Amino acid sequence: MQSPLSQHPLVLRLRRISVTCAVLLLLGVVLRPVESPAWTEVKAGQPELNLQAVEGALGQGLVLGVLGGFRTIMADFTWIRMNAVWQRRDRAKLDAMIRLVTTLDPRPEFFWVNSSRIVAYDVPHWRIDEEGGYDVVSEERQRDLDVEQAEQAFQLLARAREFHPDSPKLVLETGQIYLNRLKDIPNAAKWFLKAAEMPGAPYYAARIYADLLRQMDKSQEAYNYLKQLHQTLPDDPYAQKGIVLERIRNLEDDLKIPYLLRYNADQIAPVVNPSEQTYPFNEL
Amino acid sequence: MSAVVESIDRIRLIAGNTFLEAVRQKFFNSLLLISIALLASSTFFQQFDFGTGELKFITDFGFGALFFFGSILSITATTQLFFNEIENRTALTMLAKPVYKLEFLAGKFLGAHMLMLCFTLVISIVLAGMLYWRETELMARLGDEFTEGRLIRYGDIFIFGFLQWLKFGVLAAITLFVASFSNTNLYTIVVSFFVLIICQLQYIARDAYSSMEAGVGSWLVKVLGLIFPNFQLFNVGEQLVFNVEQGLPTVTLLQITAYALVYTVAFILLGQVNFRRREI
Repeated sequence: MQSPLSQHPLVLRLRRISVTCAVLLLLGVVLRPVESPAWTEVKAGQPELNLQAVEGALGQGLVLGVLGGFRTIMADFTWIRMNAVWQRRDRAKLDAMIRLVTTLDPRPEFFWVNSSRIVAYDVPHWRIDEEGGYDVVSEERQRDLDVEQAEQAFQLLARAREFHPDSPKLVLETGQIYLNRLKDIPNAAKWFLKAAEMPGAPYYAARIYADLLRQMDKSQEAYNYLKQLHQTLPDDPYAQKGIVLERIRNLEDDLKIPYLLRYNADQIAPVVNPSEQTYPFNEL
Repeated sequence: MSAVVESIDRIRLIAGNTFLEAVRQKFFNSLLLISIALLASSTFFQQFDFGTGELKFITDFGFGALFFFGSILSITATTQLFFNEIENRTALTMLAKPVYKLEFLAGKFLGAHMLMLCFTLVISIVLAGMLYWRETELMARLGDEFTEGRLIRYGDIFIFGFLQWLKFGVLAAITLFVASFSNTNLYTIVVSFFVLIICQLQYIARDAYSSMEAGVGSWLVKVLGLIFPNFQLFNVGEQLVFNVEQGLPTVTLLQITAYALVYTVAFILLGQVNFRRREI
């Protein structure tokens, strides 16, 4: 005989829910060998979306974006909204929106580059203003703020490089921040060289690298580098071969290189074994 | 054998009538028109784009419209088609005849699923047309950039559409399952939308908790990950259409198809278990 409790509607309903959940659980376990390899394959091709980003997106009313539809346009509109936040100098919200935009759509380099510029160049200025302005804040403190913000920008750019490992723009941007904001020439040179060696890098990356070598009193190194660069540059107006040659001549003057030993720009470029080549600029 | 054939015939009849009823609905037509209009206006929205290529932007926009409006349509149309029969008492007349409740549910599902096929097909064709038009214009303008011919693999648009259609099938089956124990239209729609959100986002929770030490929270997420289907699995737009080097392997497509079919059948059968007990 069944007890009255077992026939109670609530117990019946709970039993039904439990059975349904158990069936679905079993189905999930059975389907795991089918789902798991497919998911690994699909996940590899999707921009990553983490819990933090979802929280941010839900707060911004961007459920649609995180659900998979309209991610591109949601990111674009969020970027436009972020400009209003930037104008208000609302730092906390700005950080959240940068994270949200770059998570929603990590594909455009525009978002990464401009976000890092805001973080590295604008925010230190705001923080100095908040603390009383350039006249009140000590240079040491200004420097600390610059370093702190630059570190954040570097982290952002490092994340960007995970999505765009072959992009010279992002590498160049790191170099620009070292150079323009931190005035850290050795580190800037390291990043400019790294960018210049990447396929598709702008021609000026290599020229700036040589100039940074000169600023570090490594004129001989800069001279050797520019000579090699000049030989490998194509006859493209954007390559600015004339400017490179002009800098070679300036360095020859500085280094007091005898006229007969000076670089002959008209000579045929020596055939270099690719494995021995130090600076592969052929693809620039 | 003849019983099976007769049963299939009854399902076909119910599905056909459901489909006809569905395509006459103003809601379907309005949603279809809005989707087409939105898709056609994607070139306007491109003005707000920051760095994605035009063709890629239009593709994302089209896939987004397909997911968004398709999900709305799948849930609301299935709910309406189911509750119309209950509220108008036509279900009573139908089930008084030798029609099993499973046949009724299967017929309703297939009718709604055919509606989704029309929707998916129309959106995919419009998207392919838009992309073809824009690509042709770009080719005429920037011929040098298209040395290897067209960039877009148009067949992939329809593969993506097919996978979305399968997902809508799972969603419609979930909606029917919810409707089988629910008393109102609104409750079914709201619960189904919540389930959609859980299914779409469950992978994030799974990923976030996968690194956690075994505990109550970790186990709970694992169990939820097994109970709810992973809808993100169907979000393969990134690997289709443009990605020539690393396209989606056929075996993955087959796995996703099998995954969707099993869940669809399972939810219809679970719905049948509830619906069997229900008094109409």
